[in-house]
Amino acid sequence: MKAQIAVIAEHRENRILPATHETLSFAMELGEHLGLDVWILILGNTVEAMAEQLADKIGCHVTGIEGGSLELYNGETYKAAVLEVLKTFDPLYVCMPHTATGFDLAPRLAFDLKASCITSVEKIRAGEGDIRFIRSMFNGKLHAEMAPAATKTVLTILSGAWPLLEIHPKSKGSVHVIKTDFVPVASQTLEIKESERGKLNLGDADVIISAGRGIRNSENRHLLEAFAKIFPKSALGASKGACDLGWFGYQRQIGITGQTVSPKLYIACGISGAVQHISGMKGSKTIIGINSDSDASIFNVADYGIVENLAIFIPALLEEFEST
Amino acid sequence: MSSKIERTFAFFLDFPLSSLYPNKQMVENSGVVQGMKLLVCVKQVPDSEKRIAINWEGSWISNKDKPAFRMNRFDEFALEEALLVRDHIHHEQPIWIHAVSVGPPRVNLTLKKAMATGADEGIHILVDDDRYMSPFDTASLIASYAKNKEYDVILTGVMAEDDMHCLVGQFIAEHLGYPFATAVIHQKIMDGRNKISVERAIESGRRECLQLNLPAVLTIQSGINTPRYPSLSNVIRAKDQKIISIDAEKLKAPEKREELISLAYPEPSSKGLFIEGTQKEKAQKLLRILHEKSFI
Repeated sequence: MKAQIAVIAEHRENRILPATHETLSFAMELGEHLGLDVWILILGNTVEAMAEQLADKIGCHVTGIEGGSLELYNGETYKAAVLEVLKTFDPLYVCMPHTATGFDLAPRLAFDLKASCITSVEKIRAGEGDIRFIRSMFNGKLHAEMAPAATKTVLTILSGAWPLLEIHPKSKGSVHVIKTDFVPVASQTLEIKESERGKLNLGDADVIISAGRGIRNSENRHLLEAFAKIFPKSALGASKGACDLGWFGYQRQIGITGQTVSPKLYIACGISGAVQHISGMKGSKTIIGINSDSDASIFNVADYGIVENLAIFIPALLEEFEST
Repeated sequence: MSSKIERTFAFFLDFPLSSLYPNKQMVENSGVVQGMKLLVCVKQVPDSEKRIAINWEGSWISNKDKPAFRMNRFDEFALEEALLVRDHIHHEQPIWIHAVSVGPPRVNLTLKKAMATGADEGIHILVDDDRYMSPFDTASLIASYAKNKEYDVILTGVMAEDDMHCLVGQFIAEHLGYPFATAVIHQKIMDGRNKISVERAIESGRRECLQLNLPAVLTIQSGINTPRYPSLSNVIRAKDQKIISIDAEKLKAPEKREELISLAYPEPSSKGLFIEGTQKEKAQKLLRILHEKSFI
C-alpha cells in the first residue's frame, strides 16, 4: 500500500466538526506536494453514517473504529485503537485538528510511532525535496519554520488556518468499519459537563470591544464599557488572559476555547494577538487594534492600528467624541 | 530535605526521616502514613510582551538586548495547584513539592522564584548553551531525572508561552508510562491517594471529567486558580537554599525528533494602517474612520 496521510476526524453529536474539514484541506495540500493519498480515520461508538458521509463528500478511503469505550474521548483508548489500525496502513503523516482532543492525542501517537510531533501548524512550505511546517511562537510575534527529524510525523492543525475542504469527488471513497473492545487501564473518562457559562451570545453584536491583559487592571473595565456605549449595538468581549485574571467572566471569552465571533467591527484593546485569540475573531469585517506594544501581533491582522496606552487614550477619545 | 512538615514529623518520630527517604513511608503510632511527592516543571521564558528579537543565525532569539526572563505563566498555575494540594492535605500526611527546570544557568532565578513561592526544592537540569530545545528534548531530560524518584503527581503548564507547543507534560508521561490529563481546570486527589479526579477544559466551555491512577501527569490550564506571590519567610528560606544542579549530559540523551529550521518575523498584513499623530490627532482620526464607516 502506498504511503499515506492519515487524518483523524473530530465529531460531536453525530456531526463532523468544521475543524476536520480544515485539517482535510491541509492534508490535501500536503498530499499534492508529496504525491500522497489522504485517508480518514473516525472513532466513536457509532460512526458508520459519518464515515459514509465523509467517503461520499471527500472521495477518499474512510476507516471507522467503533466501540462502546470510544463513546467519550479517552487518550488511552483512542491511542490503542488508532495504533492498531496504523499497523496495517503505516502512514507517513498523521494529522488532526489542534483541539483539546488533538493536542492530547497527538503526542501519545507520536511517542509510540517514534514520530516527530509538530503542533498548531499554520502553513506548509515546500521546497527542494524538503517539507517545512510554519507555526507561531511568542504569541504570534515570531513564525517558526520546523522540520520533522524522524521518518513519520504527527501534526495538529491550527483552526482557521485552512479553509473548509470543499471538493466534488468523481467517485465515492470506500468505507471500512472495525470494532474495538479495548478497555483503558490507568484512566477512565466519566462524563462531559456542559458549559456553566450561561448564555451570553456575543454573536448578535455589530461591534465588539474586546479587552486583553494590556488593559492592566480590572478598574479599566469601566473605560471599555464607556467606549462600548458610543456604538448602537455593541458588546464587551475579552481574551482568555483577561478572563483568567478574573477581570471578565468566561462567558465573554473570545478565541479557540471561547466563542468565535465575526462582527462588523472588532476593537481589540490591550490584546497581544495570540493565535488562539485571532482564530476566534479574524472573520470580523473591520478590525482595530489598540496596544502600547507596537510589535504586538494583533497589528498583523488589524485594518487600523493605534499604538497608545489605553488608560489615557480611551478617556481622550471619549472626550473628543463628546465634543463633536 | 528540610521542609517544615518533615521537621515537625521528625521531631515527633525522633529519628531522621532521610533514612526512610525515598520510600516515603513513615510510621505514625501503629498506622502507616504515606508521604506524597509532587514535581512541578517550570520553564523560564522571555517576556513576550516585550520586544523579541531573532539572533543573527535565525536559529533562536537574540540575547543581545538582555531580554527580560520570567516564569512561564501557565507553569505558575501548575505551581499554585501543587501548593494548594499541599495546603489541603499536609495535616494528614507529609507532602513535598519539587520544582524542576531545564535550561542554561539563568534558569536558576526561575527555580528560586518557585522556591520563594513555596516549593521545597529546586532541581536545575543544566544545559550549557542557550538554544531552542524541542518539547520532546525537554521532556526526555525531565523524565530521565524523574524516573524512580517516586513522584505521585507531576504538574506542568498546558503550554510554554515561548514555543506554544502544548507537549512537554504529555511526553514526560509517555516516557514514564504514566497516565496523563491535559488542560486540567480542576483536580482532586481521591481518598486512598491512589487516584486523582480531574476535569479538562475542552471546546465551548465544556469539561471532560476523568479519573487517573497515580502516579500521573497533569498539564494545567490557566485560570484554574490564582497564583500566590512569594512570602517573606519563603523568600528568606529560598535565599540560602541550594538548587540541585544536574548536568543534562549525565541524563539520557534525547534522540532528535524535530528541528527548528529558522525563525522569522511575520509579514505584516498589507491592508493594515497605523494611525499616526499626537494622541489627540489619533483620537480624531479614529472617530472620523468610525463615522465614515457608519459605526457611530
